[in-house]
Amino acid sequence: MSQAPGPTLETERLILRPTALEDFDAWAQFMAHDASRFVGGPIPRSTAWRGLMTMAGSWTLEGFAMFSVIEKSSGRWVGRIGPWRPHGWPGTEVGWGVIPECHGSGYATEAAAASMDFAVDVLGWTDIIHCIDPENTPSERVAQRLGSTNLRPGKMPPPFDEHSINIWGQSAAQWRQNRQRLAR
Amino acid sequence: MNRRAPGPTLETERLILRPPELADVAPWMAFMGSEASANIGGPVPALRGWSSLMFGAGDWALRGYGMFSVVEKASGDWIGRVGPVHYEGWPGTEIGWAIIPIAQGKGYSVEAAAACMDWVVDVLGWTDIIHTIRPDNFISQKVAKRLGSVNQGLGKLPPPHEDLTVDIWGQSAADWRARRA
Repeated sequence: MSQAPGPTLETERLILRPTALEDFDAWAQFMAHDASRFVGGPIPRSTAWRGLMTMAGSWTLEGFAMFSVIEKSSGRWVGRIGPWRPHGWPGTEVGWGVIPECHGSGYATEAAAASMDFAVDVLGWTDIIHCIDPENTPSERVAQRLGSTNLRPGKMPPPFDEHSINIWGQSAAQWRQNRQRLAR
Repeated sequence: MNRRAPGPTLETERLILRPPELADVAPWMAFMGSEASANIGGPVPALRGWSSLMFGAGDWALRGYGMFSVVEKASGDWIGRVGPVHYEGWPGTEIGWAIIPIAQGKGYSVEAAAACMDWVVDVLGWTDIIHTIRPDNFISQKVAKRLGSVNQGLGKLPPPHEDLTVDIWGQSAADWRARRA
């Protein structure tokens, strides 16, 4: 108990594991910050609670969700990154959200790459998208580093359908190639 | 794969109460998308219905309790959700209920809620139980009264439900034990 069921991944600098109750304070702080405006924030603590629990529930019932990302050197929660496909979503997404203190660290790319491997190799996803706000230049850069391209303008399902996004992405086959390039 | 959240299964005369599973998403989304959910914050878009069921499953996975999915023994049908609710910022430890219209009027809410009251008092050790009920939700008020709860006055729910007007009904665990004895 206290951690949702699912695998733990490891990268050079990060641990990726399913959502845990102990993530809540850091999660709520992240979602209260203006930097969360591209990932559904800023929102009050009680609303952030719902987001954390929804993520844990997706791990439990769907068998996947975004990982909680832990910085190895400090042990702190630095964001949530990974596969995400709520009902009505425009595709099978690998998404990311990293706390502002760690922007520029390359963590989003590092954790997203491990998540793309997981989505392709374990979940068997054949396509991966990233829903990105047109004003979110840092996230566009992460997508580009992963080898994704801006595929088309997209629409989120209601109640987020007012929000315009671009759908970035690539196929699993492309990722297998891009992965090699990224590893070098 | 029809995954189920971890947790116990309770049984009453006519009902099975078990943690939510993936197959409950479709009927729950249908219920939350209909006018019948007006008393619990609906109707809401399908994505919100999906989220709220996942949210309940997350509760079970991370804290060891949450709302049970209620299955009618006779038909094997999923008929709603009843059970413990204590979200961040919530005004107390609640037993809540939501039964789909086709299964209403049979006393199922009372039957399931009573089993949940026993469980939260005996297993979780809750000392007080509340029910947050809209002032115009007379059906749920009747359920609360049948359970022996009383209206303790106007209450406030945390965001995102801060605009929902509710009364806080409830009773102590001691009162509930005395009533059940």
